This record gives sequence, C-alpha cells and structure tokens, in this order.
Amino acid sequence: MVNYLALAAILFAIGLFGVITRRNTIGILMSLELMFNAVNINFVTFNKFVATDSLVGQLFAIFIVVVAAAEAVVGLALVILVYRNWRGIDSDKYSIMKW
Amino acid sequence: MEHLILPLVIFFPSIGALLLLLVPERQADTIRGVSLIVSFVTMLLSFAVYYWFDPVASGMQFELNQLWIASVGINFHLGIDGISLLLIVLTTILTVLCILSSWRSVTKGVKGFHISMLVLATGMIGVFCALDLFLFYIFWEVMLIPMYFIIGIWGGPRKIYAAIKFVLFTMIGSLLMLVALIYIYFEFHSLTGEYSFDLLQIMSMQVPYQAQLWLFAAFALAFAIKVPLFPFHTWLPDAHVEAPTAGSVILAGVLLKMGTYGFIRICMPLFPEATIAYLPYICILSIIAIIYGALVSMVQKDIKSLVAFSSVSHMGFVMLGLFALNQNGVEGSVMQMINHGVSTGALFLLVGMIYERRHTRMIADFGGLAKVMPAFSVFFMIVTLSSIGLPLTNGFVGEFLILLGAFKANVVYGIVAASGVILAACYMLWMYQRVVFGKVTNAQNEKLSDLSPREKLILVPIVVLIFWIGIYPKPFFERIEPAVKDVLTKINGARLSSADDGQDAAQMFIDESKEISTVVIDEGVTADE
Amino acid sequence: MEAQLPPYSIKMMLPELFLFVWALVVITFDLLTRRKSGSAVGYLAMLGLVICGGILSITGYGRGFGMMFINDPVAVFFKVIFLGAAFMAIGSSFGITNRKIVNHRGEYFGLILLSTVGMMFLASSQELLSLYIGLELTTIPLFVLAGFFKDDRKSVESGIKYMIMGALSSALLLYGISFLYGLSGTTDIVQMKINLAVTQLANEGDIGVILILATVTILAGIGFKLALPPFHQWAPDVYEGSPTPIAAFLSVGSKAAGIVAFVKIMMLGLEAFYDPVMKPNDWGILVGVLAIAAMVWGNVAAVRQSNIKRMLAFSSIAQAGYIMIGMVAMNQYGLAAVGFYTFVYMFANMGAFAIVTVVEDQTGSCKISSYAGLSRTSPFLSAALAVFLLSLAGIPPLAGFFAKYYVFAAAIAMAGSSNGHTWLYWLVGVGLLTTVFALYYYANVIKTAYFAREASPYRLRPLRPALLVIAIGLLGVLIFGVVPETIVDFARDLPYYIAH
Repeated sequence: MVNYLALAAILFAIGLFGVITRRNTIGILMSLELMFNAVNINFVTFNKFVATDSLVGQLFAIFIVVVAAAEAVVGLALVILVYRNWRGIDSDKYSIMKW
Repeated sequence: MEHLILPLVIFFPSIGALLLLLVPERQADTIRGVSLIVSFVTMLLSFAVYYWFDPVASGMQFELNQLWIASVGINFHLGIDGISLLLIVLTTILTVLCILSSWRSVTKGVKGFHISMLVLATGMIGVFCALDLFLFYIFWEVMLIPMYFIIGIWGGPRKIYAAIKFVLFTMIGSLLMLVALIYIYFEFHSLTGEYSFDLLQIMSMQVPYQAQLWLFAAFALAFAIKVPLFPFHTWLPDAHVEAPTAGSVILAGVLLKMGTYGFIRICMPLFPEATIAYLPYICILSIIAIIYGALVSMVQKDIKSLVAFSSVSHMGFVMLGLFALNQNGVEGSVMQMINHGVSTGALFLLVGMIYERRHTRMIADFGGLAKVMPAFSVFFMIVTLSSIGLPLTNGFVGEFLILLGAFKANVVYGIVAASGVILAACYMLWMYQRVVFGKVTNAQNEKLSDLSPREKLILVPIVVLIFWIGIYPKPFFERIEPAVKDVLTKINGARLSSADDGQDAAQMFIDESKEISTVVIDEGVTADE
Repeated sequence: MEAQLPPYSIKMMLPELFLFVWALVVITFDLLTRRKSGSAVGYLAMLGLVICGGILSITGYGRGFGMMFINDPVAVFFKVIFLGAAFMAIGSSFGITNRKIVNHRGEYFGLILLSTVGMMFLASSQELLSLYIGLELTTIPLFVLAGFFKDDRKSVESGIKYMIMGALSSALLLYGISFLYGLSGTTDIVQMKINLAVTQLANEGDIGVILILATVTILAGIGFKLALPPFHQWAPDVYEGSPTPIAAFLSVGSKAAGIVAFVKIMMLGLEAFYDPVMKPNDWGILVGVLAIAAMVWGNVAAVRQSNIKRMLAFSSIAQAGYIMIGMVAMNQYGLAAVGFYTFVYMFANMGAFAIVTVVEDQTGSCKISSYAGLSRTSPFLSAALAVFLLSLAGIPPLAGFFAKYYVFAAAIAMAGSSNGHTWLYWLVGVGLLTTVFALYYYANVIKTAYFAREASPYRLRPLRPALLVIAIGLLGVLIFGVVPETIVDFARDLPYYIAH
C-alpha cells in the first residue's frame, strides 16, 4: 500500500511543482490533471486496502475523473480566449493586473 | 407619560431628522425652521424632565427597562440621575443655539447638516440616558458618524485630516471599551449565571481586582481620549479648529463631557478598587493637562485654537476634581462640566460670529473691537470672565469646589492646579485685550457691524445661565448631590465611610490599594498551588 | 452505505432540482426568443430564485439518499444566504447584460442559477463525495462567469486565473479528503468523526502525521476558496477583472460556500481534533494564524488600493478573517456568530457592489476617485453606499456591528472558559486593531463621495432592479441592526444541529 501512496505523493508533488513553475497555460492544466490523478490513485488504493466493504473510493475516483474533465473543458475554452486576446498562452502574458 | 419621556427626548430629534428627509433640498429656510422647531421642542421636553425630576430622591429616575435583544441579555434600559439630567439639559440647549448660529454660516448642504445635527443630538442624549452598557456603547458610536460628516463637509481648510483623525482616535478608544464590555458580560455570567449588560446589575457585582485593573484601563483609555486627557489630546485642536462653529460648540460643550461622564458613570462605580489604584497617575496627567493646556493656549495666534487648548486645561480641572474622590471635588467637577459646556460653547459661538464677518480668526488681525462692536465686546467680556472663573460667574463655583476638593485630597495637587487658574486668567485676558481694546489698527475692522438680533438671542440665554449658576447654584447642586454621594459611597465602601474626613486621603488610598494588591497576589499564589 | 433510494428522499432535494430545471428554462427562453428577450430573462431568473425560496420554506427538514443529503437548519440557513446572494447579483446585473453581453443573457443568468444549485447542494451534503461535487458545481460555472467578457483582456485574465486557482484548490482539498477516507474508511462525515477518534485512541496518536497532512491540505484548499492569506493572491485580480455582479457573487456566495465546506469538514468531521488536548492535530491554532493573516493583510493592503473593486476584494479577505474568528471559537456562540456574520455580510457587500456596478455602468470606471462629489448629484446612492461601507466597518447601530460583536464575544467567551485558549485574546486584539484600518479605508471612499469640493459630473440613474437590490441591502443592514434577534435566534440553534 505504501508504494501506491508514495507513487501518488510523487505524482501530486510533480503536479504541484508544475502548476507553480510552468509558464505555458496548457502545461499548467496538464499539471493539474496530474494532481487529480494522484488523488485518484490514493482513493483506489485506500478502497482496495482499507475500506474493502464498499466501493465508495472507486466511485469517488470516477466522479473526480468526470469533474476534472469538465474543469478541463472550461479551462481549455478559457485558454482559447487567452490565445485570441494575446496571441499566445504564456502565463506571464496575461498579467495586466498585478498578481 | 413620565416613563416615556426619556425615549421621547432621545428620539424626537431623530424623528425630526426623518422629517427633514422629506423636505426638498432647495427650501433651505424650511429645513432650518423645521430643525429649529424640532430642537426647540426637544429642549422643552428636557425642561419637562428637569421639572419632574425629584431632587431629593437618590438612584435612577424615569427608569424604563425594555427587553431588546433577549437572547443575549441586552436591554433597552434608560434612566437618569442628577448628573445626567444637567448634561441632557445642557445638550438640548446647546443644540438649539447651534442650529440658530448656523442660520447664515451654513449655506451648502443645509439638509445634510441639519440631519447630522439632529442625529448627533439623539446620540448625545442617548449616551447620558443609557443604563445598559451595550446601549451606551451604541449611542456612543452613533454620534461618531454625524460628527465625522459635520467636520468633514462643513469644516475649515484641513477638515478631512481633522475628521479622519477624530474618528480614528475615538474608534481606537471605543474598540477597547467594546472588548472590556464583552469581558464584563461574561464575567457577570460566570458569577451569576445570567447574561446581562445592565449597568445597575453589574454594579452590584464584585469584579476581581486583577480584572478591574485591565477593565478600568480599557474603559479609561476610551474616555480619556474623549475628555481628552493629556497624552491623548492631539486630535482635539485639529477637530475644534477645523470644525464649523456648531461642530466646535457641540464638541467642546457636550462630546468632551461624555468622557468625564463615562468616568463617573462607569469607571468609578464599576471598578472602585482600580480607581484608587490608578488615582495618582490620573491626577498627575490631569495636572499636566491643566498646565500644558494653559501654557500652549498662551502662545496661540488663532483665537479658536486658543479656546481649543484652553479646553484641554479646563477638562484637566474636571478630571482632577473627579479623582479627588470627595464630595466637594466631584460635585465641583460635575458643575464644571456644565460650566465648561456653557462658557466654552459661548466662546466658540463668539469666535464664529466674528469669523463670519472678517473670515479670519487671527488675534493679530483684530484690535479695538470695543469701539466698532460694543455689544459683542460686552458679551465677549462676560464669557471670558466666566471662563476664567471670576466670582459671581458660573466658572467660579466649579473651579472653587474642585480646588477645595483637590486641596483636601492632596495639598500639592491643589497648589499646582491653582496655578492653572492664574495662567487661565493670563491667556484669556491677554487675548481679550488684544482683540477688543486698543485702537482699530486694521482698516477692515472699522466697518464691522455689531451683533444682529438673532445673535443676541443666541447669547442672552448663555449669559443668563452664566449668572444663574454663578449666583444661585443651589438648584443644580441639589440635584447632583444624591448622585455624587452614590458614586462616592461605592468607592469608599471598603474602609472610608466618608472621604471628607480624610486629611491625606490620596495617601491612604494608595496604601490601601497596595494592601489589596498584595492580598490578591497572595491569594493567586495559593490558588495556583 | 446501502444504495437505498426511499421515495420520500427526492422531496428533500426539490428546491435544487427546481432551480436546476429553471436554469435550463432560462437559457432555453433566451434561445426561443432569438436572444431578444431583453430584461425579461433576468426577471425570469429572479422569479425562479423567489419560487425556489418558497419551495425551500415548505420542504422542511429531513434527510434523503441515506446520509448523503440532509436538510437541517444549518443547510437551510445557508441556502437562504445563497439564494439571496444570487438574487442580488442578478438584480444588479441588468445594466451589464443590456450593454455588454446582449447576446448571452440566457447563459449569464443560467450559469448564476446553476452555480447557486451547486452551493445549495453543498450546504446539504453530509458526505465528502457529494460535498466535493457541490463545490465543483459551484465553481465551474463561476470560471465561465468570471471570464464572461470574451474580448475584455482583464475579464479573460481573471477567468483563467480563477480557473487555475480553483482547480488547484480542489486538487489540494481532494488530496486531503483522500487521506481522511484512507484513515477512516468512510466518506460519511459523521461516521468519519467517530472512526477517526477510534483510530486515534487505538493507535495512541500514531495517525498524527498523516492527519496533519490531510488537515493542512484541506485547509489550503478551503483557504483558496475563502481567499485567506497566503492563498489570497487570486482574489483581487479576479474581482477586478470579472463583471462586477459576479465579483459580488464570488465575494458572498462562493465565500459562504467555502464557509459551509469548512463547517462540514473541520467543525463536524474533525471536531475531535480541534482541542489542544488531542495534539498534535490542533487545527484551531492553524486557522487562527490564517485568520490573523487575513485580517492584517486584507485590511492593510486595502488601504492602498485606488480601485474600489480591488479594495472590496481585500476587504472581503479581511471579512473572511473575522468569520474565521467565529470558527476558531468552537463553542455554542461561534457558529451562530459565523452564521449571522455571513448573513449580514451578504446584505452589506452585495449592496456595496450593486452601487459599484451602477457607478461603473455610468462612468465606466471603478476608480475611487470617480466617486468624488457623488453626494451632490446622487444623494440617495451615496448615502446607501455610506451605510453599506459603515456596516462593513462595523459601526453601530448597523447590522455589521452586531456581526463583529457576536464574533468577538464568541472568541472572548471561549478564551475565558479554559486556559488552553487564551491565545484567542490575541486573535480578538488583532481583530479590533485591524478594524481601525478598515474604518480608515471605508471612510476614505465616503470622504471622496462627500467631502469633494466640486459636484460630480455624473448623475446616477440606477435601473429598477438595481434599486431593488440596494433597497433590500439597506433594509437588511438597518433592520438587522435594530432587531438582530430574529436571525440570531435562528443562528443560535445551528451549533446544536451541527453537533448532533
């Protein structure tokens, strides 16, 4: 179990690192997906090893996949808008307001 | 009727303010008229309160106790004793005079100005009537906002700075007060199992000594900023000088009294032991205020800021009298609160009157006004003398009693404070001489018109009050005596049955407080073990 | 958890289902009228919210879908806040929909309604999965709304920033939730509370490290939603860029949703780990530190803002800090104070934003300097703005004062009740001190509007719905200032239900 959790933790950390350091907006979105998938691995692992009597963990993971997809749709739409307005999707372009 | 008279006095001005909302902005004279009538009726109502007030009875009168926010134990509890009575009457009279005095001087935003004045009146009267700490706090804050607008909109050149300084200073104090309030509330709950902000109920509770020290400090800071006591006075000159005449009159006449009133109504009876512990510090600060205020007044070039700094000095007297903690001192203080309201209010009115004519307040710009404006000079003379405290005027009665009390409490305090009276005579008379006597040096002064009937109408009641209190103060003393006794019995409850027979009362208080503190510390140690 | 669907349980969800359908109706109506529906579609959306409120009032309390969906007083209380915030946001949007987004009115109002559905769903969830779904239902429409002005760079920027931050915060929250699930083996919050305590006792505190990790990531996730420093950087940018009514909705509705999530997870689920006795998991101090950071940073940064939307953004960061004081005071007064605070904050903040919207419609600017002299030309709106700002600053006798009072009173009561909590005094002290800063910048706006030498060149003409919103806000602020009883009594019962 520890191995799975460690894998999830590493994935999550990579994702978090990516969100913070990436300048390409698509890259940020992909890093976010990594984080969500790390959470999914966690849930499935816990379902398999800890709470074996029901499938709530796996259900949760499926829901997260669905919601993350919805989020990605909105995110990509916004990325297109960014591209239209700035002709580029680097995150340092859209900072007319100070962060 | 008698039970409803207090809420009526408090909220009648607010009702008037609501009425004013309906009058269109263009009809300036209607607005002034309505607001004058409303304030006048309020004054008559306060006279009715004075008339019905039973001078011999002790305790609160016209009590009204209504549940307001039952779940938290907040009551709409009103009631007055002699001290509040006089301050209420003073407030309503000054409000009428202020509205009269702004007849010509306030020309823009007339509606807003009068609404602010009337709401302010509600807040001030409410503070003097409230017997529930929470209610007290609310009224205390309610008057903050109209005053902010009065200074900020209708004030002088540095009005915005002055307005914001005033609000922030007051706010810091009142927030501390709020914390102390909530603390008392829970303390009361842990002792009695009841939730209440009721002042009279809380008074019957014995607050632990350590807590008293903190609570007294929090309340005292809030009140000291308002008074203002020496190191907290810096907002006052700005606010007074920049405020319009009416604002200065209300500030000096009533708002400063709310500070001293807070001391006598809340700090002293709730925390008697802490009062005694802090006594020397407050006395010393008051004396510094007396001397400092007087010295700074002497070098002022602007009449208005001279009067403002003289307020610091006079309020120092009031504080000293209060903390002499004997019958003479406290009665004198209460009387002096009224006197200061009357005479300093009148000084601000007079300054406002010549400012309207000359658009300057610099002493150097005047001189020889006695020839051009004889009536003005006479009124000015009377008010100046009353402010100095000449016998036969109201100032004498108050200051004499305060000094008497101070001498009884501590001779050194008395002597130093007495020198303040001499300094007051110096700066006031010197100012008067430079403004009124001598030749007309400035050509612009020659054409000045004397007082109009309206202005005389404003000043006459003040002169009447000055001489009435100066010559026959008995009806006033009669009414404040029971209230003062109540406060003093509370303070002297432990050891001294009467402060009058203490030769060196202050010293004894200090010794006593040390004893108490050591006892408490001992107890604390044993409790911890 | 048994997969039972008793027939009566659908009834509990009626308000949400109705509002969901109504959102679709609104969008379809706009399409059917070929985008020429005018203001009617907005009124339709407002009508839907009112009807939904009516349905909510007759639905009554109860639970459905096992333990997943619960309609207790806490849920109903916050649902009323969500509905009110949505109503007021829509009411103040008419100027914008008439000028800027004529062709997308249906989606605009529909998305607000959908987001409201998410919030209501969140308020009713008693289980981590449905709580997460509710949270996402709330925020995903808001991403779109924030970036609604497709050709306005600021708006797009705020949309993408909000989206990234929102997704990041969900990921953090989920990571924490996954560990809670792992530790307790359940997603039912009440069951989780019990299981966690049992595990904690059995292992003698060995689960500490993972639980700390879970607590921290969950707090970070909710901290993003509530814009508590250090997770607050997105808030000013997003508020400034997004359409003003949406910023208002974000600052009230979305914030209240975050508060509900906090109440559910921390106060209910991790209740046992509040107390310092159960070390090392004292999330109380952690939240206290966040609250202090929020009050200090929010209020200090607000002082130097020249854009009123940014100022209100920082002020709402600070307000969240005050609300957190109530959360940290985990006693019978705390949650009641939080409820009352949020309720009153809705009126004052939505009202203030409504006026900002009106001014923006007319002047095209959100600079504080564009308010100069407004008191001469638009006395009513200036007075209303002053009332809202003073209420936010906590000046009696306005409702905001009572809100702050209850919060501080709760903290002081807790601090006095046991020795482990004396640090709450510091919290109160910081809160009071920062209130003075708050008064300064609120007064600054009032000063600009009232003390200017010249009259403003603009005479504001608010649309009727905006006036309605302002009137509702004024009534709320004034009435609950004089008689806070009604709401306080209701809010007082909340702790009982949360602790059942």
